[in-house]
Amino acid sequence: MKLLIVEDQPKTGHYLRQGLTEAGFNTELVADGSTGQQLALSGDYALLILDVMLPGRDGWQILQAVRGAGLDTPVLFLTARDAVEDRVHGLELGADDYLVKPFAFSELLARVRSLLRRGSVTPQETSLQLADLRLDLIRRRVERSGQRIDLTAKEFALLEMLLRRQGEVLPKSLIASQVWDMNFDSDTNVIEVAIRRLRLKIDDEFPNKLIHTVRGMGYVLEERPA
Amino acid sequence: MRRLSLSSRLALLFAACTAVVSLFAGVLFSRASEAHFVELDQQLLDGKLIGLRRALQDLQSSDSEVKLADELSRQADLSLRITGSDGQRWYDSSPRLPARLPQQPGLSTLTDAGTDYRVLKAPLFPDRPDSPQLTLLLDITHHQHFLQRMQHLIWLTVGLSALATALLGAWAARSGLRPLRRMSAVARGVSAQSLNARLPETDMPPELAEMARHFNAMLGRLDDSFQRLSAFSADIAHELRTPLSNLLTHTQVTLTRPRPIEDYREALHSNLEELQWMAQLVNDMLYLAKADHGLLMPRREPLELAEEVDVLLEFFAPLAEDAQVRLSRDGSARMEGDRSMLRRALSNLLDNALRFTPAQGEVRVSIVEQPKVLSLTVENTGGGISEELLPRLFDRFYRADPARHEGSSEHAGLGLAITRSIIRAHGGQIRCETDRGWTRFVIELPRGD
Repeated sequence: MKLLIVEDQPKTGHYLRQGLTEAGFNTELVADGSTGQQLALSGDYALLILDVMLPGRDGWQILQAVRGAGLDTPVLFLTARDAVEDRVHGLELGADDYLVKPFAFSELLARVRSLLRRGSVTPQETSLQLADLRLDLIRRRVERSGQRIDLTAKEFALLEMLLRRQGEVLPKSLIASQVWDMNFDSDTNVIEVAIRRLRLKIDDEFPNKLIHTVRGMGYVLEERPA
Repeated sequence: MRRLSLSSRLALLFAACTAVVSLFAGVLFSRASEAHFVELDQQLLDGKLIGLRRALQDLQSSDSEVKLADELSRQADLSLRITGSDGQRWYDSSPRLPARLPQQPGLSTLTDAGTDYRVLKAPLFPDRPDSPQLTLLLDITHHQHFLQRMQHLIWLTVGLSALATALLGAWAARSGLRPLRRMSAVARGVSAQSLNARLPETDMPPELAEMARHFNAMLGRLDDSFQRLSAFSADIAHELRTPLSNLLTHTQVTLTRPRPIEDYREALHSNLEELQWMAQLVNDMLYLAKADHGLLMPRREPLELAEEVDVLLEFFAPLAEDAQVRLSRDGSARMEGDRSMLRRALSNLLDNALRFTPAQGEVRVSIVEQPKVLSLTVENTGGGISEELLPRLFDRFYRADPARHEGSSEHAGLGLAITRSIIRAHGGQIRCETDRGWTRFVIELPRGD
């Protein structure tokens, strides 16, 4: 699975590639728009990450060329400008997502994974599982080590998200957006509290903890060796 | 084209008025005196005519010439010509009489060889159609001279009085406009550093007092905005300085000597927190800057307010339960607005309310539809905000808690400012009030139906 990053600022490009590579993606970085467009048109990539302002051809022109060639490669835009028209323009041209600098890397990573997952057809699951934690999607029941756990609707949704994206660090903003449909940066600590309450029910009585805090980045559900 | 100054305009206007008035008076007076002279001449000539007719009663008598000379000698400036009914000249009392005289009978005026005459022509015997004609000529040169002098005098008066009033008017206008000059002096002195200059309103003439009041009010508003703006810039610098200095110090200290890997990790984590806080601050400030430039353009989607509030209350439920605060909502209304923006605005209010509500307290959201507006109230127990601080709550970086949590990952004090910007972008208003232990934020939105 190959990703193409077209970003002209060397530092940003370097860190993006390093981060994405370490997250397990095969990543290629180019700094100018014309080369970026050539590569993008080859159709070898699973996702394009485009800066809007680029030397040669700007991000929008690349997007137009890609869509014009009939490719439906998902495109994620990065921009330092947050004008509504820009966002609308990008989405009209067929961009799939949009991140405004400064953004958190965990946020970018989560969105990249969402975009990559979008294309693949997931089989209709009836239950999700990690270690001895089992979530029954049909009966909407949660069990751990065979012990039934009562969750509120939102706690259930939160746990479902964590389970579906187990192993991924989920930033608070993404959780707020996916579980509560709160699509704005908020400095409230609601998510921390909600996670703590979920932990109380899921993890507290069990020796091996599943919900982990990744400091400064978010939360992850995974089984870690004791 | 250069416009005339106000005082010059007024001076010219005064001068023109005076000139017109004095010219009118002068012309009237000169006409009146001329008419008066004509009347006097008429009386005189009528009288003479009677005397002459009597003297010439009998043309054949030998003493008629003596009588005539006698009659004429009484009036030195009077001359006489007698013509026959056929127009032939019979007699001239003086050799220097004009050759041609008016033909029509009655009074007329004639100028000949530098001499002005008033002429009266009448038949010697009024009852005879073939009567010889008498033409009396009265030398009125001195009258005419007098009238001419009079006219000169009038023109002189007109000119001088116009000049005098122009000068007086200019002086009066200048002194009358002195308050304006004072105003302009104050305006000239106004700059960003000296917005505190004010005009004295009490010793202004009433026409200018109102203007001075408005001028002062404008200065006041400018001063206020400028104070806020400069406080905002100072606050930005201050807010950024603390985390920046933490970052610098921490990074440099960490790098001074080799350390176990855990220490580096810790340093980066700590830096990350500072950076996230700064990123949030910058994003919030950009949002506000956008709002200030009128770029916050809310979408208009139909919203069920009760639903939106319930979603938010559900979002805040864990926080409220933790804080042992009861959340509730009553009322409902439909409106058009931007869901995401309004959620953000309300979430700031709820977050704020939860932060200041003591345990066992209550946060209530009520939606009330009024005839013209739709009001949405977020109130919480736990007052404690003093009356004079209420309007400042919406100021950027304002925190009711004077001990700022510098560099903490908590709120930067922009939440309520953002809320207000969003409400304003929707054409609404927000205010805060306290009442018997409750703190209440009241949003009023126009009803868009």
